Amino acid sequence: MGILDHIWLGIVAVFTADPVFSLGSIPISITVTMVFFGFVLGVIVGATPGLGGPVAMAISLPILISIFGFEASALLPVLGFLVGIMKGSTIGGAVPAILFNTPGTPDSLMTTLDGYPMAQKGKAGKALRIAHFSSVSGDTFSDIVLITAAPSLAILVERFLDFPEKAALIILSLAFIASVVGSNVWKGLLSAMLGIFCAYIGTGEDGYPRLSLGTDGLANGLPLVSAVLGVLILGAIFEGLETMWREIKEKAAITTSEMSGDNKLHFSDIKTILPFIGVSAVIGTVVGALPGIGSTLAATLGYASGKKMHKGDPNFGEGAPEGVAATEAANSSVQGANLIPVLSLGIPGNVSAVFIILAMESIGGFNPGPQVFRLIPDQINSEMVIAFGLFTAMIFANGLNWTLGGIFMRSMGIMIRIPKQRLLPVILLLTLTSIYVQQTNMFAVYVTLMFGVIGYLMRKLDMSVLPFVIAFILANNLEEAMRQAFAVTGANPWFLFSSPVAIGFMLLALVVVIFFSRKRKIPGKQVFPESPMAS
Amino acid sequence: MQSERWTIGLGLFFVSATVLTLVVWIPTDIETGVIETFRRRTTIGDAMAPTLAAAAILVISMIMVVFAVLRARKNGGPPEPGPDRQGYKFLLLIAVPMVLGLVLMVYTGPLVVEAINAFGGEVGTYRQLKAAFPYKYLGYTMGGFVMVFGVIRVVENKITHSAAWVAALAVLALVLLYDVPFDNLLLPPNGDF
Repeated sequence: MGILDHIWLGIVAVFTADPVFSLGSIPISITVTMVFFGFVLGVIVGATPGLGGPVAMAISLPILISIFGFEASALLPVLGFLVGIMKGSTIGGAVPAILFNTPGTPDSLMTTLDGYPMAQKGKAGKALRIAHFSSVSGDTFSDIVLITAAPSLAILVERFLDFPEKAALIILSLAFIASVVGSNVWKGLLSAMLGIFCAYIGTGEDGYPRLSLGTDGLANGLPLVSAVLGVLILGAIFEGLETMWREIKEKAAITTSEMSGDNKLHFSDIKTILPFIGVSAVIGTVVGALPGIGSTLAATLGYASGKKMHKGDPNFGEGAPEGVAATEAANSSVQGANLIPVLSLGIPGNVSAVFIILAMESIGGFNPGPQVFRLIPDQINSEMVIAFGLFTAMIFANGLNWTLGGIFMRSMGIMIRIPKQRLLPVILLLTLTSIYVQQTNMFAVYVTLMFGVIGYLMRKLDMSVLPFVIAFILANNLEEAMRQAFAVTGANPWFLFSSPVAIGFMLLALVVVIFFSRKRKIPGKQVFPESPMAS
Repeated sequence: MQSERWTIGLGLFFVSATVLTLVVWIPTDIETGVIETFRRRTTIGDAMAPTLAAAAILVISMIMVVFAVLRARKNGGPPEPGPDRQGYKFLLLIAVPMVLGLVLMVYTGPLVVEAINAFGGEVGTYRQLKAAFPYKYLGYTMGGFVMVFGVIRVVENKITHSAAWVAALAVLALVLLYDVPFDNLLLPPNGDF
């Protein structure tokens, strides 16, 4: 079976498998339905300040698994829903940024600079339309790069990398993520190593689960979902609640600007903003393909390069449509490219990708990595079919973004009125309930709360949480690769330096750490900010 | 040293913790070594990965402390922000509704059932009733309400009717979301019985 057969099977799996209802005479499949619902939820949470795609992904995952179970047929509907959230939330974040000067997601901060002045001039409708067009254009570009790059990269990795090189590649990825995220390289590395160490508790090949202190609770290891949701979601909730508790003050009145004059998006507008979208889409895609660097940096770089390109009035920061376009195209084009390291290497690069991997690991039947795109003579590689099904779901979600996204987006202004201090406690209970429903024991809830406190303290100590989570996820893959590499090199203790490629990866890891540690970053001011609550 | 106090403190904490881990925890709580040889076949033992991770934490912590001390001596500056008294106070305050909520969640159902039995109700054990209405909702609704309402009360520093409504509606919505449509899902704490 060739690549084209797998692509076709992926498309068929998305559009025809398990129809749930019919639109006229057209049967609508379960995956298509789930992408749609995920997309609507994504727009809503994206437009709600304090929430974001990853929170929605985290709390819907246990419900999805409960509905669809752990069979391979569950993968596409569940991944489709998560992809829908991911896509929907990319356009939702711009709504409060433009209408109320409050970014819905951190990567929409730069959108406020020109979007809000446009709204004040009565051009809110035009600003929203520009944000929508730019966002979806950037996202579509990024998806095209993902669909072409991920299989090629995976084939290269599969052909040239053996176990020692794969172990070295995981170490390089962790070193890179730990170095670029957060304000201090050493704290980032510490965070990653703690994640690795925690993942080894209660695991191993021996009959006795190592480091379990002889307890039944730790004998099966620390639940992955508890560690991830605790550190990422509960830690962020505790920090958010503390901030609000410290700043008890009257909420500023929400003022809306009336729209006046021409608010439509014309071809001449598109012609003006297209160069800005193009440059920002390339920037966002490159940034997105690198693990650990988030969409906030992409938005900042996109805005900065747009500012350099821009000539004429109004200036950037005074309501220039090009400013909105440059920011939104950049932050949205991170999304698709973020999945390149996930699908080709099995390495999650950002929080959304963490939840995609978590879904794959929870359901089973799909192990992201280079083997996904391996062609088996005269056989169907079911993982490749699912990968192309995932790409199809992403393209379909983009179609929703192009057609319905603008309408949904412009009706989400009301979400700003939800008080965050009441929303976060509900999300807290929702997260704990999700954990319990999936793990069915209170021990998992207590572990989640413990990791929540750890995540809170890490944030207070200016220690990045993303390396912890990604290292926790990759720890067992790393150990397995090390065990295999040790075996295939004939018990060579220097297996990580047994080939030029492995040596290259290890040296590169060292160079990355040294390079980023040379420049002292400002405490609390992250160079590449991460946002656990947003994408 | 004030300008790097938390970084230095964090580093020293992990230096001590990893020394203890390497010297005490790993040797006593892992049954295979770093390298194992069995019938002339040499493999990596269970102790290898945690030992490497702990050693890496030790080295990184030491480097972090050294760099932080050098920076503090060279640059000085204002005290490094980190967890403060207000933060600890917040954690303690928020722990009250959280712990109370969890205790109520776990014990309300069984206690109510025991009370009914004690007064001659003969309804059986909570284990037998964990999937039966209304017993299956007792702990979750009570604990969930206290948790959400209590956390809102801590953050807003006042008790309001609307906060109680939010908590009640949130619990109701979660019951409708997780329990009503699915026969195979168990709300907390019913899976533990």
